[in-house]
Amino acid sequence: MIELRDVRKVYNEGRPDEVTAVDGVTLAIAPRTVTVLRGPSGSGKTSLLSLIGAMARPTSGRIVVDGREITSLPERFLTDVRRKTFGFVFQQGNLVRGVTTLENVMLPAYPLGEPRPALLARARALLEMLDLGHRLRSKAEWLSGGEAQRAAIARALVNEPKVIIADEPTAHLDTKLSREFMEIVARLKARQKTIVIASHDPVVAEASVVDRAVGMRDGRLDGDGA
Amino acid sequence: MILHPGVLALLAGSALVSALLLVSAWNGLVILRRWDLASGSALQLSLERRTYLVSTIVGYVLAFEVVSLFLYVYTADALAPMFTGAMCAAGTLAADGWGYPVLVLRLANFVLAGLWLVVNRADTLGHDYPLVRPKYVLLLALTPLVLAEAVLQARYFLALEPEVITSCCGSLFSRGGTSGVGAGLAVLPAAPLAVALYATAGAAGGAGAAFGRWWRGARGAALAVLLGAAAALALAAGLAAVVSWVSPYVYELPTHRCPFCLLQAEYGWVGYPLYATLLGGAVCGMGAGVLVPARRVPSLAEAVPALQRRLAIAAAVLFALFAAIVTWKVLASHLAA
Repeated sequence: MIELRDVRKVYNEGRPDEVTAVDGVTLAIAPRTVTVLRGPSGSGKTSLLSLIGAMARPTSGRIVVDGREITSLPERFLTDVRRKTFGFVFQQGNLVRGVTTLENVMLPAYPLGEPRPALLARARALLEMLDLGHRLRSKAEWLSGGEAQRAAIARALVNEPKVIIADEPTAHLDTKLSREFMEIVARLKARQKTIVIASHDPVVAEASVVDRAVGMRDGRLDGDGA
Repeated sequence: MILHPGVLALLAGSALVSALLLVSAWNGLVILRRWDLASGSALQLSLERRTYLVSTIVGYVLAFEVVSLFLYVYTADALAPMFTGAMCAAGTLAADGWGYPVLVLRLANFVLAGLWLVVNRADTLGHDYPLVRPKYVLLLALTPLVLAEAVLQARYFLALEPEVITSCCGSLFSRGGTSGVGAGLAVLPAAPLAVALYATAGAAGGAGAAFGRWWRGARGAALAVLLGAAAALALAAGLAAVVSWVSPYVYELPTHRCPFCLLQAEYGWVGYPLYATLLGGAVCGMGAGVLVPARRVPSLAEAVPALQRRLAIAAAVLFALFAAIVTWKVLASHLAA
């Protein structure tokens, strides 16, 4: 369960260019569900997503993940939460160029010091599950857009997080690849993952696997988000 | 004022330490008044971010404060040739009335800063800022002392003029000497102090070693309290014994009881390891004792005993080294023959 209590995020507070990106959002996200944050550009979706994923701290309000309040955590504990609880998929793959697909997937697990054979086996299994078994040794820049996105999903899963956070994951994909992405989301949901996606793509919001689409505008939720 | 690199470093360092501590103490006051972890208010979240920054800055600042005790004594020693009558730091510190008060303040601040660093380390091991209040209470107690030290130190260095006639350590630290505290230390009976030194350092080292073995539960807590108390006593007994009993063996002169000539090259700079092990052992031991109440904090139940164990082992090693250096200097001295 992810619970947001009256969360606000203000950038450049007290300056002339102050922006309230998230304005008093209260929201509860049930475990093992797919939630889509939808809304126009600048509505606060990405900011809210980064707060949920502990990549940014709110200006006020609290966020509770699995009963643990994470907004007050000192950075050294937050890093651990970020690493083990959340997997991130970004708008662009953000894969490291010049490094193989397999190494890209293994990268987030290196700080945890897991034995390499076990990590290697898990990364291979993830890539094979996402139909990238034939691309293990390919450099990141050799992958197509869809392949890069799937490699990014494998990388998000390598630390076996409970929650997958995806920010506009289909922005650079055509309709066919976007539907394929949502099929992968359905498989992840079947694997007991909680998935939170920020997207203004109708293919994402209207997919059958989505349990709930939460509208956002001007940093606030449309209707009752709780 | 004498433009010596050590003087300039101490003045600049103390000014920086004081300024940063003042800002941190102000933050500490706000934290003590407004801290409420249950609240998600903008102020609380801001305090949580600020305490992380303030703790990091104060950590570095107080680490400098700890090290600068030795810089102060080193500088005083280096300035000695400029004063008529001074043979070592003892004469330089006596060249103005504030030299010794600053040294005493620096010693007190060394211990308090060391304890703050220990408490801060423990606080960072908990996810819920478990020691934030005691940490800032200690900081608020420490800040006026550091400010007083900075002001008096500036007053001392600014008033120092070359060619001032001062007393040498031979007259300051001798029976019937001119310095109240120095002469007082010098007249203390050597044999009981030697016993006190070994007894307290042995008790602290033994308690530290025992804590390293039995660090959990009520027995661990009792041993940590014993270690803290023994370490404090060992510091007092050690400093007195170095002046009254150990130093004549180092100088191989029964009448010479100076705590500063030990820091000079002709005596192999033995004073530095001697004082460093004694002070370091005392802070580690007292730090382990100070953390006893934190063992009851749920988020620190595992981390604090482990930290205390590291401190206890460090204290045991440092006190053992201190006792070994003392024993070596006494046994190797021609005075012992």
